[in-house]
Amino acid sequence: MNIVNEAKKIIEKAYSEGRRHLWEDEAKYLCSLYGIPVAKSKVAKSEDEALKIANEIGYPIVMKIVSPDILHKSDVGGVVVGVKNDEELVKSYRQILENVRKRVPKARIIGILIQEYAPQGLEVIVGAIKDAFFGHTVMFGLGGVFVEVLKDVTFRVTPVSREEAEEMIKEIKAYQILRGVRGIKPRDINALVDIITKVSKLLEYHPEIVEMDLNPIMLYEEGKGAKVIDARILLEPKS
Amino acid sequence: MHSLDVFFNPKSVAIVGATPKTGKVGRVILENFKRKFKGKVYAVNPKYREVLGVPSYPTLKDIPEDIDLGVIAIPAPSVPQVVRDAADKNVKGLIIISGGFSEVGEEGRKLEEEIKKIIIEYGIRVIGPNCLGVYDAFSGVDTFFLPEERMRRPVKGPIAIISQSGAFAATILDWAAPRGIGIGKAVSYGNKIDVDDIELMKYFEKDPTVKAILIYIEGLKKGQGLKFIETAREIVKSKPILILKGGKTKRGVEAAASHTAALAGTYELYKAAFKQAGIIEACGFEDLFDMAKALTTQPPAQGKRVLVLTDAGGMGVMATDALESLGLEVPELSDSIKSVLKEKLPPHCIIRNPVDLTGDATDERYKIVLDTVLPSNEVDVALVITQMQVPTLTEKIVDYIYEATKYRKPIVVCMTGSEFTEEIAKKIESKNIPVYPSPERAAKAVWALYKYNVYRTRVG
Repeated sequence: MNIVNEAKKIIEKAYSEGRRHLWEDEAKYLCSLYGIPVAKSKVAKSEDEALKIANEIGYPIVMKIVSPDILHKSDVGGVVVGVKNDEELVKSYRQILENVRKRVPKARIIGILIQEYAPQGLEVIVGAIKDAFFGHTVMFGLGGVFVEVLKDVTFRVTPVSREEAEEMIKEIKAYQILRGVRGIKPRDINALVDIITKVSKLLEYHPEIVEMDLNPIMLYEEGKGAKVIDARILLEPKS
Repeated sequence: MHSLDVFFNPKSVAIVGATPKTGKVGRVILENFKRKFKGKVYAVNPKYREVLGVPSYPTLKDIPEDIDLGVIAIPAPSVPQVVRDAADKNVKGLIIISGGFSEVGEEGRKLEEEIKKIIIEYGIRVIGPNCLGVYDAFSGVDTFFLPEERMRRPVKGPIAIISQSGAFAATILDWAAPRGIGIGKAVSYGNKIDVDDIELMKYFEKDPTVKAILIYIEGLKKGQGLKFIETAREIVKSKPILILKGGKTKRGVEAAASHTAALAGTYELYKAAFKQAGIIEACGFEDLFDMAKALTTQPPAQGKRVLVLTDAGGMGVMATDALESLGLEVPELSDSIKSVLKEKLPPHCIIRNPVDLTGDATDERYKIVLDTVLPSNEVDVALVITQMQVPTLTEKIVDYIYEATKYRKPIVVCMTGSEFTEEIAKKIESKNIPVYPSPERAAKAVWALYKYNVYRTRVG
């Protein structure tokens, strides 16, 4: 019950500020409340704050610009990966702001997201939409070209049971890759089933969510779990 | 008594808008009832005292006896008054054939709202408006306003059809008739202001004459998705549901902000829903009836292991390809089975799976293989190819295949050819064993028998 209330607060805050989207760190926090593993992150509004957060999380870290006007952060030099210490952090902080001011001078800047560095895994995507006929529907697929070019994805109407989540995973054409193929070790399918069912659960408690993308999720080898790197949540218009 | 019984088994029917004028909807419907319906029929038309020998009354209320079902075929603006009359008369159900309601715009939508209010207040059940209504081969209820000489009616049978499109329902009945496909009931529900697909599915679940429910759907009512899934999921535990989805185009995705929204076409969601519901989706109406034929005549396949038995090597290979591409298996037979077969069959027969009885195959060889392999626990279903061009095969094959049904495993037959083949095929089908004219279609039927078993036995 506490979890749900805590999560509702995040949504209420967005609405009260006239937003229909959650900030990346809010979206991730909401997910983490439901037990979905996310890369730790927090928005820093100053260099000092950035240093404090980075030391809490522990180096190495990733830094990303947070702005409602910037959709593709790396295209404008808004992302630095693998920052190792305080000195590099200060340097990167200034560099990101400079890049963004130069390339998108009118962008409103909320701050810089300081995020735990998650090692590369197999990239997968779990998403959801709210459909007028079926209500919340969860999607799963492999990231990158698999989702964008091949559209190798599958859907289930919520509530999604563990059995159904397993079916979803087995159903995509790229399933063999998850089971391990030529040098790619078998992936932690159990962790993926967890994420899918937890997303389904989360949606049950928050009917306001109309779109959700956990993309990418790094899926590691069997037994080593998964981590959500980026999360987007869009809310329905406030009635 | 179920509140929908009145549409399928009324004791008395009044046809509002019955007329002697040829080509009119009200005439065709009256003729249908006159010809087949066993209960009482009345006409309602203020212009006549009788229509085609049936007594006619100015309004429903003037009919001196009780009326179970009213069929309305008059212009939309006059319909609300008839519904009010029906309420006064205590009519239990109405089939409103007339179009001109919400499907044409605001004016029509208002008429629909007016009708809804009355039927809710009086508890009248309604199918329609804007529909063909009900066809019941058992009771003779037939509100399909397409004359028999243009649209044949199929023989009675175990299939029930629920169609969002009237034209689809009519076409299907006419198409099924010459093919000998048995259809017991068909409903075109039009604008579904009251009775909808979900309620009809549930009704047919309880109908002992129905063995398979076939649905044509374009879209559900908003917010009904989950109820549809949950209802179907329950029904498929006792009866298979097959579906043909019309309208597979993408939704407008122009404003999609996320990957998920951009990928979630309406059809993708329907496909997901059908899987969750345990509904078998057909890719066209031939496919729909191919699968229905297997599911209404054969027990479900308890597993995915298929015996392919053939007298034509190439056909066996094609069947195997088709089965495997559908995810089924054509497993190697055990040594013990093979040695029994080797002992009983001539040495030139190819004993693996497919079992190839070759171009001099006899009826007895089929019997030997079926009697040896089917009782074993090595296969779950048999796909039997009998190319009748082989002169050593005779009509006896029909009985041998039929006798093999005693092993309680499904059997699907494939035979490709001309007149002689078709004659034998008819004889096999008369024993309730499905026959298909190509290995691919037979394989798809086997798949349906397997898939249905998976859905039927699924927990939860």
